[in-house]
Amino acid sequence: MFAYVMRRLAVAIPTLLLLIIISYILMHFAPGGPFSKDREVPAAVLANLNAKYGLDDPLWKQIWDYLYGIVVHFDFGPSFVYPDLTVNQLIAKGFPVTLTYGILSFLLAVLVGVMLGVTAAIWHNSWLDYLAVGISIGAQVLPNFVMAPILLLIFTLWYRLLPGGGWSFSDPTFWIMPIIALATSYMASITRITRSSMLEVLGSNHIRTARAKGMPERRVILRHALKPAMLPVISYLGPVFVSMITGSVVIDMFFSTGGIGKSFVDSALNRDYAVMMGVTILLGTLTILFNLLVDILYVWIDPKIRY
Amino acid sequence: MMIEQAKMQSLADRMVQDDVKGRSPWADARKRFFRNKAAIVGLPLLVLVVLFALFGEFFAVWSNEELDFAVMGQVAQMGAPSIENGHYFGTDDLGRDLFSRTVQGTQISMMVGVVGAAIAMIVGTLYGAAAGFIGGRVDQIMMRLVDILMSIPYMFVLILMLVMFGRSIGMLFLGIGMISWLEMSRIVRGQTLSLKNREFIEAARATGVPGWKIITRHIVPNLLGVVAVYATLLVPLMILTESFISFLGLGIQEPLTSLGALISEGADTITYGTIWQLAFPLFFFVITLFAFFFIGDGLRDALDPKDR
Repeated sequence: MFAYVMRRLAVAIPTLLLLIIISYILMHFAPGGPFSKDREVPAAVLANLNAKYGLDDPLWKQIWDYLYGIVVHFDFGPSFVYPDLTVNQLIAKGFPVTLTYGILSFLLAVLVGVMLGVTAAIWHNSWLDYLAVGISIGAQVLPNFVMAPILLLIFTLWYRLLPGGGWSFSDPTFWIMPIIALATSYMASITRITRSSMLEVLGSNHIRTARAKGMPERRVILRHALKPAMLPVISYLGPVFVSMITGSVVIDMFFSTGGIGKSFVDSALNRDYAVMMGVTILLGTLTILFNLLVDILYVWIDPKIRY
Repeated sequence: MMIEQAKMQSLADRMVQDDVKGRSPWADARKRFFRNKAAIVGLPLLVLVVLFALFGEFFAVWSNEELDFAVMGQVAQMGAPSIENGHYFGTDDLGRDLFSRTVQGTQISMMVGVVGAAIAMIVGTLYGAAAGFIGGRVDQIMMRLVDILMSIPYMFVLILMLVMFGRSIGMLFLGIGMISWLEMSRIVRGQTLSLKNREFIEAARATGVPGWKIITRHIVPNLLGVVAVYATLLVPLMILTESFISFLGLGIQEPLTSLGALISEGADTITYGTIWQLAFPLFFFVITLFAFFFIGDGLRDALDPKDR
């Protein structure tokens, strides 16, 4: 097990480095630097600015300094557009918000999805099954950027039940719409995957054996069916996590939650490359770590896999 | 609905009974496809959307760029859908006809979906087939590269690229195509590995056919089933990706538009009470996705009956 984790880490770290280097090179060769404004800046000023941010060094040295700052000091450098803010400060402001609704909607999608899927599989071809399948088919074509305006229309404009935007850590009514909007379409996919894998497992020989020896149905499902049926779901969690991170951009824009996605879009529109890269790298790291975690979980649950 | 199902079932049963002579796997698959209720719903939906995209402009009274000055400025009161002034779907907040905008948006979304899927299909198939066919260390390296690329959050890299190199359709295609071939190449490689040792490949090798020709002439045609199913399921994903990017304002630029961009506009103006701006693009978006998902799933089940 230890060797397996180490081997996976050995792939994860170069991936991360590659991500940083690719983003930096993209930024370097992009036409128009961060300081090219509508009004022409005098050449001397531009040179000074470049010197201050180290942009006149050779490319390899810039990349090295950048990597060194991140690895040794966990420092993503200053923002190019807001000179009095560092990238770290911007991230520290938005990240807790993103994390809060991100984790909650991830849990919502996984728990409700698995529950719906298992229910549908146990009562296969009953009205419960059709209901669950119906919900999941409907929800599949409602990605976050479609779900958000619909929710807003219903709950804020028509019924005036929930606040239409903003964020407060102490008032959960602000959390409801972002969480539901983000979770819906993933809940649908998880339901579908759980249902079909559970159906497959319930039809397999070891379940028939367990039933034949008179084991109570509840125990059959909880002890013998659930674990193998979860394997395809677990391998799907990685992609879900990535898309949810991406979806947080939409949530932040739509509900003005002030999360990290907001900084990303703002920096993208302002050409604030430092912030953009900081966010990309942070989220990339999270993604890679999460994938690692999923792989370990998978190996741990599935005894058939040799590592 | 119940009667329909029973009818379909009996019809399908009779079709099976009539056909006692040897059937090809393709005929079998076709039969299973048409027995799939969802696929049967999906097919006419798709035809409908395609017809709308292709011929919708002939019914439009206004072009997609004209501003209707009678409506402009009081869209909420006068821009609602109506037959009389020719705005079947109403107007947007600038007074442009939403019907022809939706036609155009559907066209572009479909195009992005199909082109994106085509890029993924070509690159992914060739890459995967090459890796599987060559095998050994080359295969190892090629697939490890795919693993690494897959664990990068591509949406962010794509947004980075769109910001840095300008927002053009070409860049969008390149970016979307780049994300999507990875999964395809994995599937194709797996298929190729199992095809590689079959007799007809051996025969081709024995008669001295060069490697790339074996890949393009003998391996790729045998992958078509899998590739076609995967491509059908990729189209809606491409449409979703493009809509996401357009929603952020980084995708298709004015005067062109896509369903994602229209939904975004509709969502922005929702507080003015112009709900049609959201409803019509959303409707076409949803049925397009439904149609492709249904048909893709139906094709997969039809070609792979055990996986149901």
